Amino acid sequence: MSPELFNARNVIVQGITGSHGTFHARAMVAAGTNIIAGTSPNKAGESVDGIPVYKSVADIQADHVVDISVIFVPARFAKSAILEAVDSKVPLIVCITEGIPIHDMLHIRQHLIGKSSTLIGPNSPGVLMPGVNKLGIIPAKLGLPGKAAIVSRSGTLTYEAVAGLTGRGIGQKYVIGIGGDQVRGTGFIECLDLFQNDPDVDQIIMVGEIGGTDEQAAAEHIAENITKPVYAYIAGHHAPVGVQLGHAGAILGSADESASAKTKALRDAGVTVSGSITELITSVRD
Amino acid sequence: MKLLEHEAKTILSLFKIAVPSSVLVHKGKTTELDLPVVLKSQVPIGGRGKAGGIKVVKSDKKLNKTIDDLFKLDIKGFIPQTLLAEELLDIKHEYYVSMIIDRATAAIQVVAGRDGGVEVESNDADSYLTVGFGDLEIGNGKANFDSVGQALADYYDLQGQAFVLQDLVENLYRCFIKNDAMLIEINPLVLTTDDKLVAGDCKMELDDSASFRHDWKFEQTEAEVNFVTLDEHGTVATIANGAGLAMATVDAVANAGMKPANFLDIGGGANTESVMAAFAQIMEYSHVKTIVINIFAGITRCDEVAKAIIAARDQMPGLPKLCIRLAGTNYDVAKVLLDKNNIKLLPTLEACIDQALEYTS
Repeated sequence: MSPELFNARNVIVQGITGSHGTFHARAMVAAGTNIIAGTSPNKAGESVDGIPVYKSVADIQADHVVDISVIFVPARFAKSAILEAVDSKVPLIVCITEGIPIHDMLHIRQHLIGKSSTLIGPNSPGVLMPGVNKLGIIPAKLGLPGKAAIVSRSGTLTYEAVAGLTGRGIGQKYVIGIGGDQVRGTGFIECLDLFQNDPDVDQIIMVGEIGGTDEQAAAEHIAENITKPVYAYIAGHHAPVGVQLGHAGAILGSADESASAKTKALRDAGVTVSGSITELITSVRD
Repeated sequence: MKLLEHEAKTILSLFKIAVPSSVLVHKGKTTELDLPVVLKSQVPIGGRGKAGGIKVVKSDKKLNKTIDDLFKLDIKGFIPQTLLAEELLDIKHEYYVSMIIDRATAAIQVVAGRDGGVEVESNDADSYLTVGFGDLEIGNGKANFDSVGQALADYYDLQGQAFVLQDLVENLYRCFIKNDAMLIEINPLVLTTDDKLVAGDCKMELDDSASFRHDWKFEQTEAEVNFVTLDEHGTVATIANGAGLAMATVDAVANAGMKPANFLDIGGGANTESVMAAFAQIMEYSHVKTIVINIFAGITRCDEVAKAIIAARDQMPGLPKLCIRLAGTNYDVAKVLLDKNNIKLLPTLEACIDQALEYTS
């Protein structure tokens, strides 16, 4: 992933005529995002606040170059919406939709192999680049332009982290919610590389959770490839095992999926890891 | 959604995976049973055998008493509504096999163990064979069932059963895909003395998000996941929105040396009724001295939460003291409402924790 992918201007909204799609398209426009068009299978030819509605991504591409698509399509139709964007070679796809069946995500992940698109989400609050682009539902007023970069699995903790940094006067270049689902598009590692390679980023804030072992993989990657300071918090130190893990299967090594195991892995990689979200925000240097 | 054993086995048999012949025994109804029989309490939780939930009955004299006892036996908070009565298998060996989703690679995998049974969960993950399906299109794939089945046969040292295992893998895979499964675990996979492979027990978990494309009618047994009791004797209850923030709130309470009673994620789009219901649940705890309410509203609206807080204070005598922090959507409206009702807001989670320390000391 390159900074250009996120700085790009021509943004579309798939599912723009649904209530969430319309509401958040307006908020994105208000935050300065350049939304050139939207899709809705049955409302082609209409418009939302002057934004033209097309039947499909391909129809938009007949008139415009599309750089980014933000998807608000309901869960049961989200798989085909994502595949449509991938097959239309949209460079960056941000999927906000919550509740996509996990088998649909398996299909999407396999379909993405060898394709030119990058997928963020699903079940993600999206991306906020204060003063540049708002791609999703993170309230723009929480952010402040600057040089920190946040990557988080949890929606509400993304809000906490960005609001906390802004409260301290520490601005952000990127705020990325990668989404809370078990199988998703972009993970921590791709975001860490983006932050490392962007000269406008000076420090990295990472918020993880119990479940899975993505944070351990990220820790290994940080130790070898990331030289910028990283601050982290893993939510769920006192969560009962099995509740969030959902997919069970003790032989998968549920001990590895705990907050303490993830905290240790990140500490060993040289990351400053806090025990609470409040501590995380105060730990970041001015 | 976790299925009960008998529900899981019914699905397995639809996909031509061998299960023991069985009858379902309902509470309060008499059922003709052939002896000997294995009676298994149908509860959605592991460790059932150790807790006394599985009994072998060989004589008529003990049958009714054993059935009565099993229906009364509480297993980790669950009392069965049904018992599964199965034929007693002649066991030569017990293996382990499951089908899982590997989150990192977004692939379906088969996990095999040479020794099945109750101790499996405590074993080291390294003592298992994990086989992926490679490059396969989900749902309509020509998966490499034969090579995966052969790998299992080699691993189990059951070369004579290679064809059977190839079929098992293919059937299991079709079952997994058709049912939007997240986990199918057959443990033990029993090799009988007459060399048949039979699913001795089965855990099956299906994806609730996919329910729109199925006609699922299972006994709903799973505990509510959004409200979880952590400690009945806890002194601080928590209410938050979003799983991450709810976990972070519990972490903050515990880090300050207090005992959190519960985890509660009221979710996006919570309204006055759902928040009132949360208060009612918290009122069930007798040791709670204060409730920490931590909301960062996105889709949720702070004024809806504020209305519930006011209603709870007015309608629930004995409501514990509140430490409230609200932020996000409609904060201003909520602040006006709470001010009017003389309910204090705190600026941060940290301030809530300090206040809670005071209330619990």
